[in-house]
Amino acid sequence: MQRYILSRLVQSAGILIGVLLIVFFMLQMTGDPVSLMVSRNASPEQVEALREELGYNRPVMVQFFDFFTDALTGDFGMSLRHRQPSLKLILDRLPATVELAATALMFALVIGVPLGLLGGSNPNSFWDIMARGAGLIGQTIPNFWLALILIVILSVHLGWFPTFGRNTWSLFGLTLPTRSVVLPAFALGLFTTGQIVRFVRSAVLEIKNEDYVRTAYSKGLSDRNIYMRHILRNASIPLISIIGVQFGYLMSGSIYIETIFSWPGLGNLLAEAIGNRDFALVQAIAFFTSLVVVALNLLTDVAYGLADPRIRYGD
Amino acid sequence: MEKSGVKCLFTIVLLLSAMVWTAGAGPQGTLRVATTTMPNAIDLPMGSERNAHNVAWQIYNSLVWIQDDGKVGPSLADSWTVSEDGTTYTFKLRKDVKFHNGEPFNADAVVYTWNRGKQDSMQWKEKFAVAKSVEKIDDYTVRVTTEGPSPLLLRIMAEFWAIIPPKHHQKVGENGFLNHPIGTGPFVFKEWKKGDRIIFEANPNYWEEGYPKVKTLVFRPIPESSTRLAAISAGEIDIVTRLSSEEAKSLKNRKNVKLISYTVDRVYYITFNNLTSGKGKPTENALVRQAMNYAVDVDAVIDALFDGYGRPATGYVTPGNWGYDEEIQPFGYDPEKAKKLLAEAGYPDGFEMDFACPSGAYNNFEQVCEAVQGYLGAVGVKTNLNLMESGKYWDLEAKKQLPPLFGDSWSEATGEALPRLKGALGGKNANFSAWSDPEIDRLLEEIGKTVDDDARAKLYVELQRYMQKNPPFIYLYEPVAFEGINPGVKDYRPRPAENYYLKYTSIDS
Amino acid sequence: MMEIAKGTGLRIDRAPNTGIRAKAAYVCKLLWRDKTGLAGLIIVLIVITAAVFAPFLSPYDPLQQDLRSAKTPPAWTEEGDMDHPLGTDNLGRDILSRIIYGTRVSLTVGFFGVLIACSIGMVIGLISGYVGGLTDNIVMGLVNMILALPYLVFVVFIAAILGRSLLIVILIFGFTDIPIFVRITRGEVLRIRESGYIEAARSIGAGNGRIIFRHILPNLIGPLITIATFEMSAMIFYEAGLGFLGLSVPPSVPSWGNMLSTGRQYLTIYPWIATYPGLAIVFTGLGMNLLGDWFRDVLDPRLRRIKR
Repeated sequence: MQRYILSRLVQSAGILIGVLLIVFFMLQMTGDPVSLMVSRNASPEQVEALREELGYNRPVMVQFFDFFTDALTGDFGMSLRHRQPSLKLILDRLPATVELAATALMFALVIGVPLGLLGGSNPNSFWDIMARGAGLIGQTIPNFWLALILIVILSVHLGWFPTFGRNTWSLFGLTLPTRSVVLPAFALGLFTTGQIVRFVRSAVLEIKNEDYVRTAYSKGLSDRNIYMRHILRNASIPLISIIGVQFGYLMSGSIYIETIFSWPGLGNLLAEAIGNRDFALVQAIAFFTSLVVVALNLLTDVAYGLADPRIRYGD
Repeated sequence: MEKSGVKCLFTIVLLLSAMVWTAGAGPQGTLRVATTTMPNAIDLPMGSERNAHNVAWQIYNSLVWIQDDGKVGPSLADSWTVSEDGTTYTFKLRKDVKFHNGEPFNADAVVYTWNRGKQDSMQWKEKFAVAKSVEKIDDYTVRVTTEGPSPLLLRIMAEFWAIIPPKHHQKVGENGFLNHPIGTGPFVFKEWKKGDRIIFEANPNYWEEGYPKVKTLVFRPIPESSTRLAAISAGEIDIVTRLSSEEAKSLKNRKNVKLISYTVDRVYYITFNNLTSGKGKPTENALVRQAMNYAVDVDAVIDALFDGYGRPATGYVTPGNWGYDEEIQPFGYDPEKAKKLLAEAGYPDGFEMDFACPSGAYNNFEQVCEAVQGYLGAVGVKTNLNLMESGKYWDLEAKKQLPPLFGDSWSEATGEALPRLKGALGGKNANFSAWSDPEIDRLLEEIGKTVDDDARAKLYVELQRYMQKNPPFIYLYEPVAFEGINPGVKDYRPRPAENYYLKYTSIDS
Repeated sequence: MMEIAKGTGLRIDRAPNTGIRAKAAYVCKLLWRDKTGLAGLIIVLIVITAAVFAPFLSPYDPLQQDLRSAKTPPAWTEEGDMDHPLGTDNLGRDILSRIIYGTRVSLTVGFFGVLIACSIGMVIGLISGYVGGLTDNIVMGLVNMILALPYLVFVVFIAAILGRSLLIVILIFGFTDIPIFVRITRGEVLRIRESGYIEAARSIGAGNGRIIFRHILPNLIGPLITIATFEMSAMIFYEAGLGFLGLSVPPSVPSWGNMLSTGRQYLTIYPWIATYPGLAIVFTGLGMNLLGDWFRDVLDPRLRRIKR
């Protein structure tokens, strides 16, 4: 087990080095940000001076080395537009994104798991049709399109939710969400809901046919008992890994939803940075989200191992 | 619970009595303004674009400001004098002004602000570097000198020189100041939730009696235009800017939204190039350039794409600019004349040329370029239109690597066209210029040296007439801006440069 | 559906009879039994027909502007008329025609994107799984790395850098999707290797080429077709997303993403401009997913879980 965790750690570090390489050289392709930083009336000399000052005229490998060593020490560079450390900007936005992603995941679980269970245990019943429908809807409705329609109907016409932004309230120093999170989280969580319904449904179908469940039935155990003891428990283990992966997806995939709802999170910051060609910030966000995703994957793998004793970590 | 209920009741009673007592007196209510981008800093020399500057000016003052009538008027300086040769300005400062943190405003603050603003790390340092020196004469007198005569100095000061408190700034440093900016302005910085909202409160000790009118000012960035529309429709926002004409039309029937519109000091154009890619091309011939101006039906474009809202551009100086030539007329649509001119220039069968436009940068501009392409094709000028993502586009524009024909627009906040003219026509010395003409250079230099307003206006007129005969652009249009406001908002006065000062503005709740 | 879903293992290769005709008849029978799969197939066929015969099916040229009849509502509303069954957009272009032509962009992106990803991914996966050892380690390291990246962030990023063209969109999706196919192929190869009948083939003197072409490739077709269907639907979905951000094909090209992007500005005023292209995306996605589900159930029940 320890060896497995260690090897996964090394692997994760390798992935992150790769990410750094990709991110850095992708930015090299974008050309020079300096001309965008100066005002339209600046002279070519001023541009050259700024290029020099910011080090964009050094050899690529030198720039990469600097970038790499800085990243190791937690310095993700300065945002060109904000002239502030990128990491600070990212951390400012992180709580909003976590709130949105966590709420979206909660929606997905609350809707997805029961629907998947009901559908999987009664194939071709009303619930199964609902479950399969939900799975399909999640995979086929573009969430940004749904988001716009939700705003028009539920916010503008019915006035049930705010049309945009994040409102919070404080309790004992804790920042808590308000209903402003409902629409964006629902739209964002749609895809994940579909994935979870599909997953739970097929897991239940599969486990029902496993020998030990058949044995349990033949022993005359009650439905309820079998569901609690065998099916739920066995389906919940792989569910952990799905949740980990989906949480990473939700954290990094909120660019559309956050833009549409003006949600002050990372996706919004990313869209803004791309629009302003603030590449240092784009670089930092891409690396940071990769870091989060890789860390989540690592955690899920380890949790998965701890939860399921049948899995051995030989290779 | 009970206790808080009592407290609540008590507060309400207190508030009610306070309202009765102060009705019409102190600042009241909350004004919520949507911005189209997230300001990067509430600080003039650092703010990257118009939205950031608009937000920032609510908490600062400069020595002078541009009044509603477009003239330069006193602000933190009571009065000023200009030396004979036009290079030395002496300002007398107000004595009764304090910064939000209690620090007194005086000559030291002005000198400090200038020294900070011209540092290399500042985005708008050249707006401070226009002054050669800023000296303290006594506590309330400041002398500003420039290299040569600089007719735009006062306007630039009004747009960029936001006076900051030296002691506070020194204490907290650049980063601390970024997170908690302090000025002398009508509003006081309260909170900035990054990417979400910026909150200002009325400055109770503001030096202009009776201002500001609202108690709390909230800026909320909403980049998505459909969401902005939804937010004003749902009454969650009191002011939204930069609506398209169609969006404005859709709000017409809503009782809770009032529409306002005004012509913006921005010129849209297709520029020719004689510096790099356009060398040796037919467009070096002035007749060809005139022909291409006659070929485009600008009125039809404005009608079709902007519901008729907009003004055909007559040149690079707009009616609101100093020195605008009242007699100048737009080229007008005359394809026959265009063909004749092309034939005269030696291109009876037209020619082919590459053409580029930015996408995603301006309202409907892609369609405008497609229309221009069609019109040019109709007189025999075949163009290959390439629409590029705007960031990349401006990068290429600054490197002068765009095709010989490309579209863009240029706004101007100072009320004079000189910076715009210099920027777009300064030849190799200007980043975004693709054109060089010795006669234009001469006139621009002359204008830049002439401090006398009337003499300068004459030079502008001369330049406009020259630029009509030798057009460096296909002149397109000056757009109309639409904004939607809550009908309870009073005295909101947006200006042609899409900027505003909210100290007058009040809101009925 | 029921038997299959229960995992009784009905598979094509166990079809009761030999001969192509018998197999085809068997597939048809399976399809008829599973109505959702049939529905998926019909939808996909409709979309393909629309793409192929777009010039004959659309009432107008999708690029033809007519500013006088701009923003005409759909025919079923009071102000609408049958000239434009689904109404017109902000420049007076016929929405029905644009949606029909939009199938071309979507299917082109989906088909060629998958073709690139699948062919490159299959070759790499075959090599990696078959050769094993260090090669396999390096390949899988790279694959895991790319899969660990926040997909959307990178796709948006690359698209923003490279600019708007159909080719670039196809290449982005094609290349970023390679790892999925590598993983599927490699997994299949490993499974087949473990099953032991490759050793058997080798022991009777079969060469590498023969083993790959006779034993491994035929077994790959099922899972690859299934994944390809899902990936195609995902690419259509993501193309629309890029178009929505203004990062897909050039704005004048009638693609569903571009139509959504234009339409969203008018959503509160002229909702049909964005509604119909959105429905077209949902419809196509629905068809492909139903078909993909059916492929999965019929061709390979084990694949049920492997999906991004």
